[in-house]
Amino acid sequence: MYLWLKAFHVAAVVTWIGGMLILSLVFSVLSGNALSRSSDVSGMVDAVRKWDRNVTTPGMLLTWGLGLAMAMQAGWFGARWLTLKLVLVLALSALHGVQSGVIRRLFWNPSFEAPMLMRASGTMTPVVFVFVAILVVIKPF
Amino acid sequence: MTEVSERLRQATERDQIRRMRFVSLLEGTTLIVLLFVAVPLKHLGIYRGATSIVGPVHGLAFMFYIWMLIQTISGGGWSKGEIARLLIGAFIPFGGFVNERALKRRELLGARD
Repeated sequence: MYLWLKAFHVAAVVTWIGGMLILSLVFSVLSGNALSRSSDVSGMVDAVRKWDRNVTTPGMLLTWGLGLAMAMQAGWFGARWLTLKLVLVLALSALHGVQSGVIRRLFWNPSFEAPMLMRASGTMTPVVFVFVAILVVIKPF
Repeated sequence: MTEVSERLRQATERDQIRRMRFVSLLEGTTLIVLLFVAVPLKHLGIYRGATSIVGPVHGLAFMFYIWMLIQTISGGGWSKGEIARLLIGAFIPFGGFVNERALKRRELLGARD
């Protein structure tokens, strides 16, 4: 049972983080580029917004649920590596929440300038995720 | 803002508030089930495992509510008072239902910027 949970958890994580990187890419492409604000990109913004709602967000919810089930089954609550990992996962979730809100705003207001945090999210997401991967695979403490 | 983009904004924000209302009810309901069903079942010795089932379910619903709140306010147009109210309501029994009513009022008024 544990390995099944783990397999689907990993698949959900890949879906979620991949979706966050798509959002980061859109914010990066649209930042300060007048040409990219033409009506040509509104279709892309809408497609990414729908992808976020229908694929990335369910991926995040499955990541949470399956991760919780795994930690309960293995009795890991209280382990320091897991506590730190949960803090990082909450930070990634919050970042995704802001990305998701900003893409919604960009949909109805194409001239909206995404905050600096959104442009930095393309770097922040993989960096934080590397620490998450180290914590869960190595379990250093 | 053009009329088309204003209509788009109102439709998008209305959908968002509708989803937020659903999650608010979900969070409020799981908190009530936890406090008034699972905890008494545990302490009366009827079913000691009740809280270890309902607890994580409410935990996930609570996290999703906070995430939805971040997503909603990141779209803009929410005052600090409204945000504080929506946040505090998640910690209080029946607060989720009060929040749902407040969100419905805002949905009917039309989402502001």
